[in-house]
Amino acid sequence: MAQHNHTEVVYGLYNDEEDLLHAVKEAQNGHLDIYDVFTPFPVHGLDPILGLEESRLHQAGFIYGALGTMTAFLGMTWIFTKDWPNIFGGKPYWSVPAFIPITFELTVLFAAIGMTVTFYIINGLGPGVVSKHLDDRITDDKFCLAFDAAVVDKQKAESFLKSTGAAEIHSKTL
Amino acid sequence: MNQYTIKPAHRNILFGAMALGVLSMALTWLGDDAHHTRFWTNFLHNSVFFTMVSAMALFFIAACVTAYAGWHTVFKRIWEAYSMFLFVGLGLLFIVALGVFMHWHHLYHWADEASVETDAVLKGKSSFLNKNWYMFGTIIFVGLWAFFALKLRSLSLSEDNTGDANYAQHKSMRVYAAILLPVFGFSSAAMIWQWVMSVDAHWYSTLFAWYSTASAFVTMIAITILTLIYLKSNGYYENVTQHHIHDLGKFLFAISVFWTYLWFSQFMLIWYANIGEETIYFKERYNNYPILFFANLGVNFLVPFLILMRNDTKRKFGSVSFVAIIVLLGHWVDYFLMIKPGALITASHAGGVEGHAEESHGAEAGHHAAEHVSTFVDGFTIPGLLELGTFLGFFGLFAFVSLTVLSKAALTPKNDPYLEESIHHHVV
Repeated sequence: MAQHNHTEVVYGLYNDEEDLLHAVKEAQNGHLDIYDVFTPFPVHGLDPILGLEESRLHQAGFIYGALGTMTAFLGMTWIFTKDWPNIFGGKPYWSVPAFIPITFELTVLFAAIGMTVTFYIINGLGPGVVSKHLDDRITDDKFCLAFDAAVVDKQKAESFLKSTGAAEIHSKTL
Repeated sequence: MNQYTIKPAHRNILFGAMALGVLSMALTWLGDDAHHTRFWTNFLHNSVFFTMVSAMALFFIAACVTAYAGWHTVFKRIWEAYSMFLFVGLGLLFIVALGVFMHWHHLYHWADEASVETDAVLKGKSSFLNKNWYMFGTIIFVGLWAFFALKLRSLSLSEDNTGDANYAQHKSMRVYAAILLPVFGFSSAAMIWQWVMSVDAHWYSTLFAWYSTASAFVTMIAITILTLIYLKSNGYYENVTQHHIHDLGKFLFAISVFWTYLWFSQFMLIWYANIGEETIYFKERYNNYPILFFANLGVNFLVPFLILMRNDTKRKFGSVSFVAIIVLLGHWVDYFLMIKPGALITASHAGGVEGHAEESHGAEAGHHAAEHVSTFVDGFTIPGLLELGTFLGFFGLFAFVSLTVLSKAALTPKNDPYLEESIHHHVV
């Protein structure tokens, strides 16, 4: 994730995800620190090779969902028993079965909105944010492996990218 | 090892379970009321339960073939083996259907001609709820399912021997599977109405078939998980990995939630509308079976929902088999609650053998009926030891039949177009 300012990045664009997977393995074996990998779609088996930990986004999602459950259920309980008790269809004030659909909906709503906002924040995305991406084509058909020039020597990185079959090699200051 | 053989010790355990089942059923019969209501409800309950489990295995094979799914191919022989139990289920339910004809039991109010004559509701339903339809549906529809099960399995077996890159058998399976799905969709609903919903003959719910079929589906997935883990622990199915178990765990989770959705949809609409002839079904269960009524929902929803929500609990054999056992018993209790209350009411209305004559005697007859009921009410409001014994007997029969069928063919099919995909199946 591009958090640092003015980082010089050397990156190679591969035409095929198999070449990328192979290159990532080679880099790990050669102890080259990878700055980041960008792919247009989730590449199967990439996460374990990169050693990425399982995302904790769904744990946040559970908390948001539970918050939605509580908001809806306790909210309706308070409204229909304390704040504005009304009899609907001869049912008791505290009509739990009638609360369930709304409780379900708010659980989904809270989890969905909460997880979306969290995802945007941790990825530095949002309305009006200019994204610091390396190349437009990594959202289309190119697979990108990037090195930080301050960490991995530029010449070394370029020769590595070339030797692993990168179709194009560029560098860019983010 | 690609060829399964039942260990003698395990076979003896299954025979022991079946013997326990026969003993329980005999004891039930001896200590029963005049109609042998407890015996027949247990017989119907377990027959329908395991027949529906094997029917759902057949349905799932057909659904996977039609959907071009390949993840299950390494262990699809297990479902093929389950689906062969349909032949046994056909025999078991034929006995129930014969019982309707011969008046061996009093499970169904609509089967009592004298009651139907004086009852406008039952009379209105009599074009569907009658002994001929019951017999016809049981023989023809279950027979049809069994035919499709046999056909799909024999195509799969012939693929092992003569399958090649033309995939002629698989293409033929697609045709059979596509024909089966709509046929099964309508016929399974009709049979569920006949076998189970018509126990409460005056009551009906348009959601009932969905709800009870979802229950059977969850059970089928739970039994699949337990069978796979049993076979893996005995050294078979090394090519079935935690990735396959993970997907089965997802199905166990998802269909449990789906079942809850259907249970609640059925309950809430009836509760909200509060029409007497509809609420009677839930009022009976709420008042007289409160523990089972709430435990059913708690066990079959909360346990799989909370435990299987995480990624890793669907992959670990310990947690997933724990949930599978709970859910298997939970859905057995679910079917118990579908059948027993209605049958008990029917039996108590009928009283003794000359039920209707006695009812007219007023208080005395009421007392008599209550006395009759009290001899077997323990086995109704909660499953007693005899119910558990009967369940173990039927479970042993189901396990014995399906494991025997499983031992007749290679565990992992050969030449299936989706085999490679299934072996390399990988989910994160």
